Amino acid sequence: MRKYAVIYRSVLMENLQYAANIAMGFFAYFVFIFIFIRLWEYIYRTPEEVIAGYTKAQMIWYVMMTEMIWFGSNAGAAARQVTMDIRSGNIAYLMNKPYHYTWYILAKYTGEWSIRLPMYAGLAAVIGAWMVGPVPRFRIVTLPAMILCLILGITINAVFKICISLISFWIEDANPFQWLYDKLILVVGTMFPVEIFPAALQPVFKLTPIYTVCYGPAKLIVDFSADKWVEIVLAQALYLAAGCAFMFLVYRKGVRKLYVNGG
Amino acid sequence: MSTAVKNQLRVCVLSIKYNIMKEMINKVTFLTNICFMMLNNASILVQWFVLFRLRKDVGGYTMREILLLWGLTAASFGLSHVLFARVFSLPELIISGKLDSYLVQPKNVLLGVMTSSTNISAVGDLLYGVLLLSLFCSSIGRFFLLVLFTVTGTVIFTAFALLLGSLSFWFVRMEILGRQLTMGIISFATYPDGIFRGVSRFLLYFIIPVGMAVYHPVHIVVRFDAEMLAAVLLYTILIATAAAAVFYRGLRRYSSSSLMEARM
Repeated sequence: MRKYAVIYRSVLMENLQYAANIAMGFFAYFVFIFIFIRLWEYIYRTPEEVIAGYTKAQMIWYVMMTEMIWFGSNAGAAARQVTMDIRSGNIAYLMNKPYHYTWYILAKYTGEWSIRLPMYAGLAAVIGAWMVGPVPRFRIVTLPAMILCLILGITINAVFKICISLISFWIEDANPFQWLYDKLILVVGTMFPVEIFPAALQPVFKLTPIYTVCYGPAKLIVDFSADKWVEIVLAQALYLAAGCAFMFLVYRKGVRKLYVNGG
Repeated sequence: MSTAVKNQLRVCVLSIKYNIMKEMINKVTFLTNICFMMLNNASILVQWFVLFRLRKDVGGYTMREILLLWGLTAASFGLSHVLFARVFSLPELIISGKLDSYLVQPKNVLLGVMTSSTNISAVGDLLYGVLLLSLFCSSIGRFFLLVLFTVTGTVIFTAFALLLGSLSFWFVRMEILGRQLTMGIISFATYPDGIFRGVSRFLLYFIIPVGMAVYHPVHIVVRFDAEMLAAVLLYTILIATAAAAVFYRGLRRYSSSSLMEARM
């Protein structure tokens, strides 16, 4: 594990140098949140109205939290680097190193979001306090439980994105598959909570990564309950185990197809 | 004069043609990029089905106007990225001093830069936009209006990106802010203007050109207004002229990085 800790630390230090560049991305986050605040202000006739079990403040905070996860964990290692490594043949050098390639990517990815996510969390807190008000029923003692859920969600997302990127072993460009996965997460889990969809679809959505990646962590932030936390963390543990097993399987099958032109 | 213009246009058309042909070398990648981008755009409709279950209209728009809004945005965004994709990565050329290969060519520098690259997934955006707009082609007049607004939208999106990109001649790190602003336009352009009020509405119509590129065209197609049409055409000419002027003004400050590069 020490070698992965070293990779994590070196990426973390490297990303600290580019904190100003990350901050320049705040504009896109602000635009998105601003649009959704205006949208929900239009949809909710009164601030007290409840839609799908959420008040206006809870709904806006839900979107702010899912977008914070989206922007804060949108680091390049899990998607872009894996695809580029396979397309360029660079993976031939990386797979011979004394580490497992997928763990190496996960360590790098964790180093990337460890800087981005806290920065976006700070921005979300400022925008939320300024434009919406405090998170309803938020208790500071539940914060460690929420953070654990958040980290698990981001890691599951990374594992799935790596699995998709590994498709590049078979077809040259896995980006179109990334778009579809991202859009599934964005439309179904990020813009709306699962409860807003028709009752027949909700159990289906709870079986998809949406429940563990964005809905679960954001739901706990806007409406925490111990029962819900246990349910979500258990689902995340199962998802993470299954996702990792699938990632190793795809990687093992993929490297057998690797053809290096040399150079 | 007309021969020079014809020659220039021929070079631009050939450049775009070869950019697309280059991307078509790998047919599977080419087709998956286009099809998945269309699917990607279509999936956003889920959001509107959800919202229209809650309210009959959103910002004064029904599903019909939303489809028109998406059609115009996707077609304009798609066309600008198919024809002039390099404009959206102009800061990279300026900062790394890679404009040299364009400067030495005996043709218009700006058009040479603009048409030097294509974004193949944008073909998916363009096709998706055309598909949605075809739902509104109920008469010849409507058809011409939709074609006109796709062209004006393309010019406005491209000119705005060129304006922001050209600022890299003066300021470093403008590329990140420029990219954010360009993507910000697309975010705004896919939501109805009726949900924005006060300062934000003013900004969308007069500073960030979403109002002129998409909102006004949607209103004109729904209910024709000659004054609004004149405003859109005038704004398109103004922003295109301003963008070209800023680019050439900035080009005087350009310094080469003496990078050896061949353009094929």
